[in-house]
Amino acid sequence: MNLSIPVIVMAAVIGLVGIGFYCLLVTRNMIRVVVALQIIVKGAMLALLLAGRMRGQLALGQSMALTVIVADTIVAVLGLALAVQVKRRLGSLDLNDLSSLKR
Amino acid sequence: MADELILLSIGLPWLGALLVWLLGDRKAKFQHGIAVLFAVASAVTACLLLPNVGTSTVVSFPMETTFGEFNFVADGLGVFLAVIATVVGSLAVIFSVDYMKGAAQLGRYYAMVLFFIGAMVGLVLTSNILLMFVFWEITALCSYALISFYNDDPKAVSGGMKALIITQFGGLGLMLGALVLFAYTGSFDINVFLANPSVLPSNILGVMAFGFLIAAAAKSAQFPFQTWLPDAMEAPSPISALIHAATMVNAGVYLLARFFPAFEGVPGWRISVMVVGMLSALMAAVMALVATDLKRVLAYSTVSQLGYMVYAVGAGGVFASQFHLMSHSIFKALLFLAAGAVIHSVGTRDMRQMGGLGKKLPFVRIVFVIGALALAGIPIFNGFWSKELILEVGMHGNPIWLYVIMLIVAGLTALYTFRCVWLVFYGEERSELHVHPVGIFSKIALAPLAIGAVTTWLLAGPFSNLLAESLPTHSIHELSLMEMIREVIGTPATYIALAVVTLGLMTWVVREQISGVVKNLRFLETAAVQSFGFEAINRGIVAGVQKIAEGLRGSQTGLLNWNVFGIVAGLILVLAALLIGA
Amino acid sequence: MWHIIILIGILVCAFQAIRSERLLVAALWLAGTSALVAIMMYLLGAYQIAVIELSVGAGLVTVLFVFAINIAGEEPIPALSLIPKPLAWVSVIVAVGLLAWQILPLFDLPLGSLQGAGFEEMLWSGRKVDLYLQTALIFAGVLSMVALLSEEQTHKVSTHKEDNV
Repeated sequence: MNLSIPVIVMAAVIGLVGIGFYCLLVTRNMIRVVVALQIIVKGAMLALLLAGRMRGQLALGQSMALTVIVADTIVAVLGLALAVQVKRRLGSLDLNDLSSLKR
Repeated sequence: MADELILLSIGLPWLGALLVWLLGDRKAKFQHGIAVLFAVASAVTACLLLPNVGTSTVVSFPMETTFGEFNFVADGLGVFLAVIATVVGSLAVIFSVDYMKGAAQLGRYYAMVLFFIGAMVGLVLTSNILLMFVFWEITALCSYALISFYNDDPKAVSGGMKALIITQFGGLGLMLGALVLFAYTGSFDINVFLANPSVLPSNILGVMAFGFLIAAAAKSAQFPFQTWLPDAMEAPSPISALIHAATMVNAGVYLLARFFPAFEGVPGWRISVMVVGMLSALMAAVMALVATDLKRVLAYSTVSQLGYMVYAVGAGGVFASQFHLMSHSIFKALLFLAAGAVIHSVGTRDMRQMGGLGKKLPFVRIVFVIGALALAGIPIFNGFWSKELILEVGMHGNPIWLYVIMLIVAGLTALYTFRCVWLVFYGEERSELHVHPVGIFSKIALAPLAIGAVTTWLLAGPFSNLLAESLPTHSIHELSLMEMIREVIGTPATYIALAVVTLGLMTWVVREQISGVVKNLRFLETAAVQSFGFEAINRGIVAGVQKIAEGLRGSQTGLLNWNVFGIVAGLILVLAALLIGA
Repeated sequence: MWHIIILIGILVCAFQAIRSERLLVAALWLAGTSALVAIMMYLLGAYQIAVIELSVGAGLVTVLFVFAINIAGEEPIPALSLIPKPLAWVSVIVAVGLLAWQILPLFDLPLGSLQGAGFEEMLWSGRKVDLYLQTALIFAGVLSMVALLSEEQTHKVSTHKEDNV
């Protein structure tokens, strides 16, 4: 396979998403969940920009990516605030201890 | 001028809602004051819209790309319903000053009422069907929140849930229609579509027409979705008057009337609409005959009268339907508010415990009787004229058996109305009830509605003019007041209808003598009390869904890792399917 | 050539971010990933977004992470995961492998030239609704910042609640 630029960027997208999902699967630490989400979303952003560039509508891709950046930053803030409050109230960041939220 | 008025009549109630909520519940007096102030202000702005009625777009917010333009149009149909919503809304808010005195969480109550009024105005004035859907859902949300206002009462909570879930079917139908319209025309604008409905292929138009019929039936509590409205009576009485009699339940009729020109050509659509209206009118009238809860009787009669309006739209009488909508909004709001005053005074809703209240509540008796006469269709009250117009439309060029059933329903209407009035205000007292006097704000709210119930039919001329001029696609012909009087008085149908109404009345008077016949109809009573099995169907569906949900509960581990594993497994499945497909 | 180096950099940084023992170090590796992704964006011609990603993703978010980790404290990460690690490995590799196998050949095209409307024009007039949404989101973010910064006033109340549970 010839390594053209789109293939390389797409490989980065798939790699980022895969690494992020693996982290989500194995981690039990709330803060690390936020890290994993950040990694996945970076992959998604790259994919948006690549799609925009290849269709000749980079501006559209960029404005979508901007929305994603804003949403993603808010998710990070929200997740970290949640983690800090959980730590304060329950004294732990372990997801397993939080499963009392189930019922 | 008109653009500011439209924005004001939507924005003022919303601003008021925000203020009442921010004010906090410790300053109850100010809350009452602000709510009344903003409701009345929006009513004034909506009334000022009346001289500005036109067909063209007045306010437009370009949203670019996919959402089209958020347009507002001040045409006759919309402005008329906006006036109804804001005027009845402000009267209901004024009534609430007495009714909700000392109640907890007033902020939540008034904020929701004002939010509802603004959304209702938006719903009828916008010409963007997507925006219409948004407003439609906001009204459903407010209706839910207000039915369940007494949220420590399980009956109120379940009534609210029922209303929310059933009206969601309506929302789905409307959204389906909106998306189909957008998919085929690339625009959400209603008026563009109405001017040229043939842009849609005929089968798609049929899907849309019947989708909207489902939407209207769910919202207006028509067959087979009628069960939510009686349970919605757990709401405070001003809410029943405003949302479940005068405004929100009319949204379905409005939808049908608005889209009538586009759908009238769809094969089978008009007859379906008429049958839905007829079935609702008939079944609800029979149920009203046997109900013992005062507010439930009024709720069934609302379903029945809405059935008349739906029937009229199906029969091609958009004007007759909207005229009856106006009459009904006024006399039914009057009846609900008067019933609220009675219930507030005696502390029960059971009519079997009332009786002889007329002497203790003379003012309420007068206004309630006025409302009841209008509901029964007695001459010179507004309900008489509009109902006669509907029956006349139904007689010409439409199936005669439907007309006959609607005539019988008119008789039933008179019968249950007089039964209700008699049980509440006349006869001997059946139990010792402590009667509180009716407050001054209640009287302020009731008086204009009572006057309206006697006089609004005089507005037939200007009203038909309003609709005819601003709705070019509906082909409504103008009808002056004298023409209407001549038309109604001059046809034999009127006298047939009057005879049937008198017959219904007489049935109540001679009820002792015909008890043998009544006994033979006992099976009908049993069926009607159980709402003809529809409650059982509802319960079955709820139980089924609950069972499925409980079965699926095991899949919810509550652990993030396993949930993500589910996502990854789903991704693998999709990819594998693609691989096999390719 | 540059692209391949950056690709490797991105993957290494991201892998380190999820593998490193200490959270603070993980946050720094995440910042590195973000910076490299920004460079990749720049190479794609998305200059404006590259700058925003660099300042927000690599800057602001990292500051937030450091801040939150300081408050919440480093906690020894439980080594035992709830899902057997081999299962996690296998499922992710299968998913990524399938994805790569099916998608990558489709992208074996030249990149195409830069063209079309400018970013500012597209953003301010073409995607108005998005901007409203972003405003709403930023409000949500400010509210959660307040929650992040709020002191332990509510702590005592909450422990009572915990006792009841």
